[in-house]
Amino acid sequence: MLKVRGLRVRYGQREAVHGLDLEVRAGEIVTLVGSNGAGKTTTLKAISGVLRASAGTVEFEGRRIDGLPPHAIIERGIAHVPEGRLLFKDMTVLEHLELGAIRAPRSAPAYRDRVQRAFELFPKLEERKDQRAGTMSGGEQQMLAIARGLMSAPKLLMLDEPSLGLAPIVVDTLADAIRNLHAAGIVILLVEQRVDMALRLADRGYVVETGRIVLDDRAEALLENPRVKEAYLGV
Amino acid sequence: MTAAPRMRALGAVAALAVLPWLTGNAFLQHMMVLWAIYALLALSLNIIVGYLGELSFGHAAFFGIGAYTSALLSMQWGVPVWLGPFLGAIVAGAFGLVIGFVALRIVGPQFAILTLGFGAILHTITNYWVDLTRGPMGISNIPPFSLGPIALDFAQARNMYYVALVFLLGVAYVCHALMTSRRGRAFIAVRENPALAASIGIDVFATKLHGFVVATAIAGAGGALYGHYLRVITPELMSLQYVAALIIMVIVGGKGTIVGPLIGALVYVSLLEMLRAAGPLRLVVFAALLTACVIFLPGGLVSLWRRLRERRLAPEPAGASA
Repeated sequence: MLKVRGLRVRYGQREAVHGLDLEVRAGEIVTLVGSNGAGKTTTLKAISGVLRASAGTVEFEGRRIDGLPPHAIIERGIAHVPEGRLLFKDMTVLEHLELGAIRAPRSAPAYRDRVQRAFELFPKLEERKDQRAGTMSGGEQQMLAIARGLMSAPKLLMLDEPSLGLAPIVVDTLADAIRNLHAAGIVILLVEQRVDMALRLADRGYVVETGRIVLDDRAEALLENPRVKEAYLGV
Repeated sequence: MTAAPRMRALGAVAALAVLPWLTGNAFLQHMMVLWAIYALLALSLNIIVGYLGELSFGHAAFFGIGAYTSALLSMQWGVPVWLGPFLGAIVAGAFGLVIGFVALRIVGPQFAILTLGFGAILHTITNYWVDLTRGPMGISNIPPFSLGPIALDFAQARNMYYVALVFLLGVAYVCHALMTSRRGRAFIAVRENPALAASIGIDVFATKLHGFVVATAIAGAGGALYGHYLRVITPELMSLQYVAALIIMVIVGGKGTIVGPLIGALVYVSLLEMLRAAGPLRLVVFAALLTACVIFLPGGLVSLWRRLRERRLAPEPAGASA
């Protein structure tokens, strides 16, 4: 479904991603794990078109999408929920959902159905639909950020550090939501620093270090991998 | 809009409609026309400054383009004067499209400087293209506004006031409708966080260009009204003095709101007249006003009202700082 080949991304002179290969197949949850500064976020940004790759290709459903502007990539069916649940603090929940629906593939269900589905997934958001995002808790904000991403009716949802700064119980709710989305047929590319949680959710995982993939395996196998255990799981 | 703000808006419209009948003083009526035209211009600049979050130092040029377009078309080609504001808007908007298409590739202070450059170029061209614009002499004897068969004398301030008011209210309504629509929220999203806006699928460049073209077109319409009312225009319309005036109106009144620029225009027009005796010192007063506003009242004069209301609504703060 998504094929990334030889991706290189640079910020000015400094290259952050040095030739990264990655594949996400239909029906999968794939996770990209690694420590701070490994290039995970940069990779997602390059896929969604927010950053431009200096080399390499990104293919989605067999068509090249590298070089397209972000809104065109969203129309192809990729939604990116950025790190740090970036919201517009003075806008309400419903206003965010409306903005999230500004681009969508032509085949997307009706706007009202999409709102309905987002509320089914996160009932909390329906209770707070007229509340301003800035006044909500961290967990609710993360839910809203994901719901906003879903409003573009994506086939592939890329989540960047959804668990960042959230209480453990909220992280559990979030993990359930990700499973629900996956069950509903959305393919998920998850970037996480909570390696154990990410690998438990995912089918396959990639370990990124300093802009390169260093390990790539089924998630259960990675959980047992001594190198992963030592570096990320602290056992 | 819920019931209370709608009643307030209707009340304001009614008050503005009867305003010129409260005085027989022709000078006061003249001031009202100036206010309405300046308020229209301030509202248009507010789209750029308040909604898109960019600063334009070239706005007066579009105002001038509208004024010259309408004056020349009506005088040289006999185009009906009532078409002038619309043609002025189209021509100014077309310039806005071309300039915006180039300048909006970059944002922030660099964009402001670019608009300063484009504004200065347009000002200079107007000043030196004597065959077309009569250069620094300006154009005089511009026909007053007219509505074809409707025989009203629009050289009279009271009648012209209603023309300007119709445009002003129309634009105010469009601004309101825009800002409660998804398009308007996209504007705010682009202002607050362009990177985030892009990542959720908003075409930042197209959104900014859209706002810029609308703003310049409205400025063109305002310029046309101005020309047909004062009946004399010179390239000075495009000078920095008018740019500064518009920026003062928007910032002092309150950017990003609809009422703000209207109040700002009122403050500007009244001070301009009250301080006429002060001569060029007026400009110092305006500079002081702008500076004070930026430091002490960044939300502009409208934010005073909001502060007041919040204080009244809020329960007594227990030892909290004000």
